[in-house]
Amino acid sequence: MATSAALALPPAAPPARPRVLLVGTALAVAGTLMAFAGLIGVYLAQRHAVLAQGGEWLPEGTKLPLTPGTIGMATMLLSGVTIWWAVDAVGRNFRQSAYLALGLTIMFGLAVINSTTFLYTQMDLAVGSKAGLLIYAVTGAHLAMIVAGLVFAAVMTFRTLGGEYHGRDREGLVAAALFWYATIAVYAVIWYAIYVTK
Amino acid sequence: MAVTETPPETVDAASATDASPTPSQPTGLAAVLGSGDHKVIGRLYIVTSLILGLVVVGLGEAFAIEGLKPETLQIFSNDSVFQLFTLARVGTIFLLALPLVIGISLVVVPLQVGSHTVAFPRAAAASYWGWLLGSGLLIASYAMNGGPYGGSSDGVNLWIASMGLLTVSVLVAGVSLATTVIALRPAGLFLSRTPLFAWSVLVAALMWILTLPVLFGLIVLMYIDHRHAGSIYVGSPTALYPSIEWLFRNPQIYVVAIPVLGFFGDVLQTVSGARMKLRGVAQAAIGAFGLLSFGAFLVAPSEAALDSYLVVAMGLLAVLPLLALAGSVADVFRAGSFKLRAGVLYAVAAFLILLLGVAAGALGSIPDLLDAPTKAGSVSDNIFFLGVSHAAVLAAVIAGLGGIHWWATKVGRQPANEGIGMLAPLVLLLGAALTVIPDLVAGIVGEGLELSADYRGGLTGTNGAVAVGIGLVALGVLLSIVSFIPLLKRSEDAPADPWDGLTLEWLAPTPPPLANFVDDLPVITSAEPLIDLREEK
Repeated sequence: MATSAALALPPAAPPARPRVLLVGTALAVAGTLMAFAGLIGVYLAQRHAVLAQGGEWLPEGTKLPLTPGTIGMATMLLSGVTIWWAVDAVGRNFRQSAYLALGLTIMFGLAVINSTTFLYTQMDLAVGSKAGLLIYAVTGAHLAMIVAGLVFAAVMTFRTLGGEYHGRDREGLVAAALFWYATIAVYAVIWYAIYVTK
Repeated sequence: MAVTETPPETVDAASATDASPTPSQPTGLAAVLGSGDHKVIGRLYIVTSLILGLVVVGLGEAFAIEGLKPETLQIFSNDSVFQLFTLARVGTIFLLALPLVIGISLVVVPLQVGSHTVAFPRAAAASYWGWLLGSGLLIASYAMNGGPYGGSSDGVNLWIASMGLLTVSVLVAGVSLATTVIALRPAGLFLSRTPLFAWSVLVAALMWILTLPVLFGLIVLMYIDHRHAGSIYVGSPTALYPSIEWLFRNPQIYVVAIPVLGFFGDVLQTVSGARMKLRGVAQAAIGAFGLLSFGAFLVAPSEAALDSYLVVAMGLLAVLPLLALAGSVADVFRAGSFKLRAGVLYAVAAFLILLLGVAAGALGSIPDLLDAPTKAGSVSDNIFFLGVSHAAVLAAVIAGLGGIHWWATKVGRQPANEGIGMLAPLVLLLGAALTVIPDLVAGIVGEGLELSADYRGGLTGTNGAVAVGIGLVALGVLLSIVSFIPLLKRSEDAPADPWDGLTLEWLAPTPPPLANFVDDLPVITSAEPLIDLREEK
């Protein structure tokens, strides 16, 4: 029997709320940024203290070539473009473009890990000095952040492949992108504070 | 007939889609080990932190007794006194106060904000198991002669790793709690209408998220230094504890006690039965206290940093939010009534001890008021700051115990014993005052905290009071635990709302089921939805 009640539309969608994964990721990003603020702050304070006393910050014989760091910076910036592309493509339901963009982001992230580890082989810096300890701690922690960001992006890629995210819901990808942008921002600070100013 | 992109569904179909399948309640060991239920995780935190907390309090009592006659009493060997002192201090925060506060928050906050679950339940469960493992490893590291001032290299590595695990676990719990308050509130429950306890947990969690990662960064540095760099910087066993001393003094120590303010406001407003006209002031006060507890910038402190205008101003200003909160809470009694409950005694006791600590912290922040520290560059070696630290931690512990009592029908199966519950906070208040005040006096008269081979903290004359005080705190904790015994007993007629509550958690049955609420929540139009419901009737 087709009554008016039987043909009623489903209940209205609940009002939009802040999204749980996005909020949680934003909080995790805030915490991660604070961890790096602490680490880089200690690095700069120690470096300033040594230089203020007329000492040399980097141990004698240490080479800290700028090129791998700058290549890494450029690669990170490119990865920022590709992850933005991925989010945009999913929003428009251009799935092939989204897969390509996410794949490129992961490839760029792996390339930065490669350039940083290559830099380690070039700089001839022992961990047993205060400068070495702090540089390895800061850059090593950032490598860990890149790995975490890549895992996050990869998981979201697989979820997108599985059809979980689409034009009207791309929360997971936006969350992964947010974390990745923070990774890029931290690298930019490291690039300037450590690789450029030395 | 209107044409829509999505075909209209029948009411039956819509209802079928709307009614999500009820998850089955796990039983037995799976209900504990594999649970993502925020109440189960919270209870695990509460029980474990109370067990470990009694050990920590016992350790503190042993130090106080040794301080009575340091020359003749030898409770601790000369080799272990430094290490165990650091265990007592780290333990008060990471084994007792923080996990107790997290435990009660995990049980109560999702209920208060009308959520069926906590955000990221598996992460919340992981935070408990990570914290439990970290606590075990921390104690094991001391057992194998590790930790600060330890002689075993492996033991020191283990201590650093366990501190990292504890920190990350607290952070994960903080993210879970903060996300719950921000993103899982029902429509109508704006942040400005959030119950004060949930609001204070949000502020506390945000402050943990903004400050404890700095500690984690330091721990990374410690580990690399000690494991790979030959202990040239913060990884040296003698440098570990001084590097984290900023955690134990004001302003940073206050982050442990932020939920005390929410508990105080929530309980007193509930017994008044009235709406809080100055809710905005109360929320702003709690938020301001949170901001003024940001102490991570002291991670690499110097004498100049401690005497800076910022530190002095933060120390002095921290008193104002407490006074503003007390004023806005007192205002509700102009419209409401007053009923003396054990929860009120817990709340007032916790607030008074925190106020004592914060006022003392303000005094201690004034440069040159206290005698010069005995160790250059150390941030809390004056015993005065031990008193401030104890005040904040004890306030958090009293509020945590009070929270279990107040929300007993959500934590357990029945209300707690009200008679013993009335006595416990009074004993705790007296014990906390006797623990804190002698250290403040000793600090003012210039008796520094001497970590010599014999423990000589404080004044010999006043250490007797401290020993009695810590003993009373232990007694108060035990009394509270005794008053919680009814929580374990099943009851068919346990009230869901024994206090005529004002907020959503009192709509949940006793004990709350897996999804927290049986009936649909009311439409929320104010900060006191249960008053609205009563007025509708």
